Amino acid sequence: MINMPRANHWDIFCTVVDNYGDIGVTWRLAKQIANEYSIPVNLWVDDLASFSHILPALNPFKKVQSFSGVNIIHWAEPLPIGFIAGDVIVEAFACELPEQVKNQLLHLHQTDPKSVPIWLNLEYLSAEDWVEGCHGLPSLQANGLKKYFYFPGFTAKTGGLICEQNLFAQRDAWQADTANKLQLFNELNLKGIKAEDTVISIFSYETQALATLCELWQQGAKKVHALIPKGRSLHSLTHLLPCEIEALVPGQKIVHGNLTLHILPMTNQQSFDRLLWSCDINIVRGEDSFMRAQWAAKPFIWHIYPQEDDYHLVKLEAFLKIYCDNLAPEIAENWSKLNLAFNQAQQSAVDLHWQNLNPVSLPLLQHVKQWPINAINDADLATRLVQFVKNS
Amino acid sequence: MKTAHEIRPGNVIMLDGSPWVVQKTETTRSGRNAAIVKLKLKNLLLNSGTETTFKGEDKLEDIVLDRLDCTYSYFADPMYVFMDAEYNQYDVEAENLGDAANYIVDGMEETCQVTFYDGKAISVEMPTTVVREVIYAEPSARGDTSGKVMKPATITGGGKINVADFVKVGDKIEIDTRTGEFKKRV
Repeated sequence: MINMPRANHWDIFCTVVDNYGDIGVTWRLAKQIANEYSIPVNLWVDDLASFSHILPALNPFKKVQSFSGVNIIHWAEPLPIGFIAGDVIVEAFACELPEQVKNQLLHLHQTDPKSVPIWLNLEYLSAEDWVEGCHGLPSLQANGLKKYFYFPGFTAKTGGLICEQNLFAQRDAWQADTANKLQLFNELNLKGIKAEDTVISIFSYETQALATLCELWQQGAKKVHALIPKGRSLHSLTHLLPCEIEALVPGQKIVHGNLTLHILPMTNQQSFDRLLWSCDINIVRGEDSFMRAQWAAKPFIWHIYPQEDDYHLVKLEAFLKIYCDNLAPEIAENWSKLNLAFNQAQQSAVDLHWQNLNPVSLPLLQHVKQWPINAINDADLATRLVQFVKNS
Repeated sequence: MKTAHEIRPGNVIMLDGSPWVVQKTETTRSGRNAAIVKLKLKNLLLNSGTETTFKGEDKLEDIVLDRLDCTYSYFADPMYVFMDAEYNQYDVEAENLGDAANYIVDGMEETCQVTFYDGKAISVEMPTTVVREVIYAEPSARGDTSGKVMKPATITGGGKINVADFVKVGDKIEIDTRTGEFKKRV
């Protein structure tokens, strides 16, 4: 193998697992590293078709293209372009690097060890205590290479949370003027929403808890608009739909009592943020939309990715514990129980705790505003990651 | 080869040409059911220690060293002394016992495996399960009998583990020494 020239770029590798989650996180991180730290970034993605749902301008058939300062490269075997190691290699969410890349790392290790890039495994976000003890530890490979496990997290001893530096200022400016949300709803072809109506976005997995909430909203005293993209959430609401899910079109309205379901078009990440900022309550899932719902400073329900043996409930409770730390006990209890019930599809408990919670109560609204500031904990993930690389 | 998930305290693995004895393992669950394994290792050539992490399915080269069935004899600070069937004694440093130290008690009859490297006893592997008496546990608060609600407890020898809420002081319990998990009341 020839000794290839090195550049100061970062390579981020991502395999798309469930359409939008993993790629959502890595795309945000890649943009942030490129734009806020002026570091050239190559983002290698194995499924450009899924990626194009959150980056509509992306051509799924093009091997190399550039957006927002990031080179996006189709990760196929063999790699469509020659791989040149830069300063950092990130394997997102424990994906397995291509053999071509691992071979080059080994070659550098054997010929010029100082030139081996920092190799990181970016792990999933968790609020559990053990994360602090594992964050930043090396993983000693049998061939002498060293990989570091980088764990996002909510405390100062973890890798932090992905959040762009100007995000909160943009959000505040958006939320300061009600006209912004009405204009967004109009742009998304969501008709008939008035400023005083309750608007709830829904981006969850399948659960009968949604059916329970919809029944409550139908019979409620106030108009509720539920904004739902075509996808997994709707599989739990087929009894409310006039046709098959595939036949629904973005912008379509379905009215049941005081509830209006609106079919959302797919949006890019910026529009999705604005949507979360504009809704009164957000029901989100996984990791990426979960974080964006927190940054939206609005009440939310988190539908966590289900794991074997109900282990996701351990992760959910770990988050609820830290999130509720400064919240009034009665509200904290209701909000926690609502999230737990939603994640276990306990319909009567969802019904009870939703009614008890009053998601627009003043202490809860104050808490959701303050939480993002506390959670950032001095530095976001990209800032800590760049510093980690400098120190390694 | 073993996966990181299968590695146990007392195993010896090869990394970058050096043998490392595993002193402690800690398995946690990351996203999408993936396991993360944290190992506390000691380099047998340099006598230096480190902590490292692996994905649960990462393959590690475990090396087979000489092993002898032994029983625990006594503690002579900082050495645990074990004895084989022919009454030969072997000293094992306390820090090399790792989690096995949680289950060592005077008079224990279980057979342990002592591992040797370069003629020196370097680690001890406990039987897969042991039975120990609970010497401290909080009272059962919730009346739970399902075994799913857990609480901290102390066992003979001073080891601390989580046990089912229905377990009381004086109960004898079976513990999986590979994971440190409570199995059942016996």
